[in-house]
Amino acid sequence: MTLPSRPLRLGFIALSDCAPLAVAQEKGFFGLEGLNVELSREASWANIRDKVAMAALDGAHMLGPLPIAARLGLSGEPSAMIAPMSLNLNGSAITVSTALAEAMRNADPQAMDARPRTARALASVIAQRREAGAAMLTFAVVFPFSVHNYQLRYWMAEAGIDPDRDVRITVVPPARMTARIASGDIDGFCVGAPWNAQAVADGHGEIVIYAAEFWSVGPDKVFSVTEGWAAREPQALQSLLRALIQAAAWADEPGNRAELASILAHQRYVDAPIETVARSLVGSPPYSREEPGADSRDYIIYHRYAASFPWRSHAVWFLTQMLRWGQIGPDVDIAAAAEAAYRPDLYRAAAASLGEPAPIVDEKVEGLHTGPWTLDEASSPIAMAPDLFFDARRFDAAQPQRYAASFDIGRFRED
Amino acid sequence: MPSNVATGAAKATMKVLIIDPDEARAALVAEGLADVHPLEVHRAATFEAIEGDLPLMAPDVIVIACESPDRDTLESLRDAKGENARPVVMFVDRSSPGLAEAAIEAGVAAYVVDGLSPARVRSVLEVAMSRFELMQRLRNDLDKARADLASRKAIERAKGLLMKERGLDEAQAYGVLRKLAMDAGRPLGAVANDLLTFAGVLKGGTK
Repeated sequence: MTLPSRPLRLGFIALSDCAPLAVAQEKGFFGLEGLNVELSREASWANIRDKVAMAALDGAHMLGPLPIAARLGLSGEPSAMIAPMSLNLNGSAITVSTALAEAMRNADPQAMDARPRTARALASVIAQRREAGAAMLTFAVVFPFSVHNYQLRYWMAEAGIDPDRDVRITVVPPARMTARIASGDIDGFCVGAPWNAQAVADGHGEIVIYAAEFWSVGPDKVFSVTEGWAAREPQALQSLLRALIQAAAWADEPGNRAELASILAHQRYVDAPIETVARSLVGSPPYSREEPGADSRDYIIYHRYAASFPWRSHAVWFLTQMLRWGQIGPDVDIAAAAEAAYRPDLYRAAAASLGEPAPIVDEKVEGLHTGPWTLDEASSPIAMAPDLFFDARRFDAAQPQRYAASFDIGRFRED
Repeated sequence: MPSNVATGAAKATMKVLIIDPDEARAALVAEGLADVHPLEVHRAATFEAIEGDLPLMAPDVIVIACESPDRDTLESLRDAKGENARPVVMFVDRSSPGLAEAAIEAGVAAYVVDGLSPARVRSVLEVAMSRFELMQRLRNDLDKARADLASRKAIERAKGLLMKERGLDEAQAYGVLRKLAMDAGRPLGAVANDLLTFAGVLKGGTK
C-alpha cells in the first residue's frame, strides 16, 4: 500500500466548518502525513456530491445527511458515499430579518426574552399575518438534506408551526443568505457560520437561536469519500483522517482561534471580513446589534467532546428527521442506512495510530446530560459536554421510528 | 411520455433554459443550440433573475454552469409541493457511459423534466459541453496571447537596454539574452524581465 503520487483533490464550501481541511492545508498537517492535497472551493453542495460520486474529487466537506441521502438515491444519482469523520458540532443559527424580529417582540415579548428562544413569538406573528391576509413568511436553508433544514423545521414545529403549511421554505446558497435577507426576499434562514454573524453585523438580521442552544452538541458537517475510493486508497484515507483529526484539534485550541479566523477569512476559503469570521470562533456572535452573544466557546466545536467521531446515532437522528418530514418512507431500514454511511471503524483506526482517544461505542443517547460528563466507553476516557435539546426531549437511536412519530407535527405516524 | 417520443411527426418544441453567470459563454451555448431544431432557448445569469417567469417559461431542460451556486436551489424544487412541474431530474444517461462525468468535467449540469427522450437531451448537453470547452480554449488562448505579448515587450525592452548600456547591436543583444536564458534554463521573457528588474534596482528605480 502506498500513497497516490498525484495530488488528492478535496472539495469544500465557503463556511467556517471547512476549518479542518483549511487548517490541514495551511498548517501543514497534510504535508506531515506525506500527502499532496489540492483544495477546491465548490459553488454548491450538488457539485460536491456529483464530483465525489463521479471521482472528479477524491473527497469533500459535506453536509452530514448528504452521504446518507446519496446512498439512498434521494439526492442526485445513487452513490455509495461514506462519512469516516465528523468535521464539527454546532456552528449554525437561525436568523430572522430585523423587521420580523421586531414583529416577534411585539407579538410575544416574554418568549423573545427567554434563552433559548422557542418559536412561540414566530407562531403569534404567523397567526396575526394569516388573520390580516398577509403573505406567507419565507425561510431559507442551504439544502434539503442538511441539519439546517431539520433544525429549522424542528424548532418551528415545537411551537406548533407546520413548516410545510405555515411558512415557505426555500433553498439559498450560504454566501447569498445575507443579501437575500437584506433585499427582503426571505424573512429568515438557518445557515452555518459565519453568515449569521454577517447578517447581524450588516444590520439586516437578528439571531434567534444558536445551534448550540437548539441541541448543545448537534452534528453538522462530515468528511466524505465514496466506498469505492476508500477501498482503493485505504492508506491515503487513513493519512487524510490523521491529518484532519490533528487539524481539528488545532482548530479547537482556544489560543489558535484568532489565527484560525485569519486563515478562514482569506479569499481562498470563506472570503469574508475577518471580524465577522472571528465572531463565531471566539465566543458567540451577538444576537443583535443591541444584544451581545452568550459567553460560550461551544458556538462551534471541531474536536473536543469526541466531536470528530462519526456517531452512528447522529446518522440515525438525520434519518428520523427525513422520515418525519417525508423525505424517506417507512420502508427505509434506518439502522442499516446509518451503519452503511457512517464509518466509526475507519475513524477509530486513524485515532488509534495517533494515540488519540476514540469512543468504542457507535451510538450515544442524546438529551441525557445536563452538565459535563465523562465518556468511559472509549479507548481512554473522553470529557464530554451537556447534550440537551432546547425542548428537553431525549433521543435514543435504538428506536428511530418511535422517535420520529413522537412529534405533534410531522408527516410520519407509527401504525 | 408518448408526446416526448420521436414519432416522425412534428416534434414538440423543446424548451431549454441556460443558467450561467458567464454571459458570453451562455451566448455561445445559445448560438450552438440554434442549430438543434426545434428548440426554444432562454438565458439567465442567475436562477433568482428568472424565478418568477419559470412557470410560464416551463423549460424541459435546464442547462446550468457548475460554477453557479444555483444548483442547490434548483434541486430543492423537487421538494416544493409543486403546482408547476419543473425540471428537477438530473440528467444522467446510462446508455452513454461517461457522459455525466464528461459533463461535470466540462463544468455543465443538466436537469430535465421526467420522461424526456435521452437522445434529445443528449444532443443539447453535447452542444453545451462543446461550447463550454470552446470557451475554455478561447480563454486559455487569450491568456496565452496576453502572456506572449507581455513577454515580447519585455524582450524588446531588455534588448534596447543591452544595446544602450553595452553598445551592442540588436543581434548581439538578442544573443546575450538567449545565452542567459539557456544557461538559466528559463524562458527568454522571464530572463528579460529579471534583467529589467535588476537594471531598475541598480539605477535606484526600485526600492
